[in-house]
Amino acid sequence: MSKRNKLVFKGLHIVAWVIFVGLCVEAGGLIVNFIFSLYKPEFVQHLYQKLDLSQMYNISKWAFFGMYSFILLISILKAYLFYVVIMLTSKLNLARPFSNYVADQITRISYCTLSIGLISYIARQTANYLQQSGFAVDTLNQFWGDSQAFILMAAVVYVIANIFSRGVEIQNENDLTV
Amino acid sequence: MGIIVNLDVMMAKRKISLNELSVRVDLTLSNLSILKTGKAKAIRFSTLNAICVALDCQPGDILEYANDNDARTTNR
Repeated sequence: MSKRNKLVFKGLHIVAWVIFVGLCVEAGGLIVNFIFSLYKPEFVQHLYQKLDLSQMYNISKWAFFGMYSFILLISILKAYLFYVVIMLTSKLNLARPFSNYVADQITRISYCTLSIGLISYIARQTANYLQQSGFAVDTLNQFWGDSQAFILMAAVVYVIANIFSRGVEIQNENDLTV
Repeated sequence: MGIIVNLDVMMAKRKISLNELSVRVDLTLSNLSILKTGKAKAIRFSTLNAICVALDCQPGDILEYANDNDARTTNR
């Protein structure tokens, strides 16, 4: 492996860690907010990132908890996605990249990305429906603005995962050729 | 798979050890062991040629085809 590649991978690993910590903080903040909102409803207007969902909470608790569940699920999945990316970058050996572990992790990344994309898409459609019913959901768009990008990325990563699985088979075959 | 490797039989006939064969064939012990235990998925012509030269035999003495059912019965 060249020196430049090593440097790039080290950089990627650090960036993945930074993003993972950020996403964990966000997911943690949202979970704490969620627990608080269950027991202290007046807390709903001071949610994470100055999110004010008091209007939604007052009109319909079901709508509030439904939308909040979407937000929670997406942020937890994003944190998990980066956890898998960290695991992958820390254990990837570029000298022998085709291993079952790497193929499994890439497949996991594709499933996780697809889940995020689909949940974001469903959440966005639900938010649109709620908006038509008079709910103020503009502030929530930041959580699921990029659903299509995630679905597209999932498709690309899935193709790469399949190529990797085939690569592992070829590598095994090559290893067992004497 | 129906291909059986009879390398150990030929080695016994020629009274040659795995270490000695690995030196003569210029193959690592682990690769020879993979071949001997039947775990190998493929064998290069050059390797087969080297083994035939070292053991003074034909490829048919080392490799044998047996129907899967026959092979199972033989194993029992």
